[in-house]
Amino acid sequence: MVDPATARRARYCLLFLGLAAAILFVRLLPLSTVPARFPAPDLILCLALVWVMRRPDYVPALVIALVFLVDDILAMRPPGLWALIVLLGTEFLRAREATLRDLPFAVEWSMASALILAMMLANWFVLTVFMVPQIGLGPTVLHALATGLAFPLVLAATLAALRLRSPARGEPDTRGGRR
Amino acid sequence: MRRILIGALAFVMALTFLIWRIDSPRVERFRAAFIDRVVPNLDWALLPVTKFVDMVEGFQSYASLYEQNQELRRELQQMKAWKEAAVQLEQQNAKLLAQNQVRLDPKLTSVSGVVLADAGSPFRQSVLLNVGARDGIVDGWATMDGLGLVGRISGVGQTTARVILLTDASSRIPVTIQPSGQKAMLVGDNSAAPPVEFLESPEQVRPGDRVISSGDGGVFPAGLLVGQVELDKDRRLRVRLAADYERLNFLRVLRSHPAERITAPGRLIAPAVPPRAEPLPAAEAAPQAEAGDG
Repeated sequence: MVDPATARRARYCLLFLGLAAAILFVRLLPLSTVPARFPAPDLILCLALVWVMRRPDYVPALVIALVFLVDDILAMRPPGLWALIVLLGTEFLRAREATLRDLPFAVEWSMASALILAMMLANWFVLTVFMVPQIGLGPTVLHALATGLAFPLVLAATLAALRLRSPARGEPDTRGGRR
Repeated sequence: MRRILIGALAFVMALTFLIWRIDSPRVERFRAAFIDRVVPNLDWALLPVTKFVDMVEGFQSYASLYEQNQELRRELQQMKAWKEAAVQLEQQNAKLLAQNQVRLDPKLTSVSGVVLADAGSPFRQSVLLNVGARDGIVDGWATMDGLGLVGRISGVGQTTARVILLTDASSRIPVTIQPSGQKAMLVGDNSAAPPVEFLESPEQVRPGDRVISSGDGGVFPAGLLVGQVELDKDRRLRVRLAADYERLNFLRVLRSHPAERITAPGRLIAPAVPPRAEPLPAAEAAPQAEAGDG
């Protein structure tokens, strides 16, 4: 007999994987091969941040690492680096989940944007240190900006469509303790 | 326990990145194999969705059908005149070639492929073709659409090959600008019209000049149409690409074989070693392989 909470966690975890796969799929469609003037936001990153901020128990670190490693490989990025940075970023959020939970939306958004910018700059910095040919600092910041702007949209869509809410007080967490 | 798991994951990621940095070709081969395994499985979904979006876009232009029709008629009229001129020139050319006994490069044949997927990242400009090592594709070959140069093969899987487009930031192509004959490099920079660099005397180049590949470096065949020179707002020379990057659909991969190099001057006059007879099996296998590729 499967515990209903475990079953729901597994279901949402699969849902996360499905959404990430769908985003990757749409991104791979060869619709237009003309370079865009404004870089498109990294929706998978937004999705991962939203889920980690709302329900960290639905997206285990292993799932995040796996999704971003596959993303790295498909998107022709240096494999492993971006996945590592996202892993560290989400772990940073996960450790502060309890304090973040009751913050107003504006603070949550600015926190997420700052984290996105920090992660992309870290990526840029490491690539520079390792002398990997890459894009300039300007497009990196633009990309972070676009992703930060997309964050509330992804959050709203997630809340509206998936009813992903923060756990209520007193709900038992994964380790059996009370929140 | 949890901390150990996270630490181990982070270590594996960092290790992957380091291995990639140290032994890039091997990891890139793994990447090509991975993409080769994954993306063709999505073929059944990728193509219909792409076609559907194209259809919707086509439907939007339905409204302006009448004007388009008129315009096409006008263009057709002009084309007929050009066609007449082209036929005459072709005949003249054939006559002159026959008089000259010129041997054009006979090895320039092509393999056609369909675009499966694009790079999936805002800062990478590449597409994935559905032809690969199985079809004899080799890294470095030139890729064209119907009209102009599109890019260069970089990364070959068993059934897929990646084409780095001319607009990608890592793309560098030696070109010649006609009619002045200036040599330059076409340097991709993630914009739709890549700039021309390392030009010796820019004052000899005007907007509207034709840009063709020069074949310097021996990787690319010479004489492929790339595009036209234009000036951007900063008065920098850029190339408006001839290939239709809006919809890359079918691409031709040109088989290019390295030209024979003449290294020693003595070879020109007489071969150093008398030519030996080829071993029979190799001579027989070669034409079969050629036929199989086609």
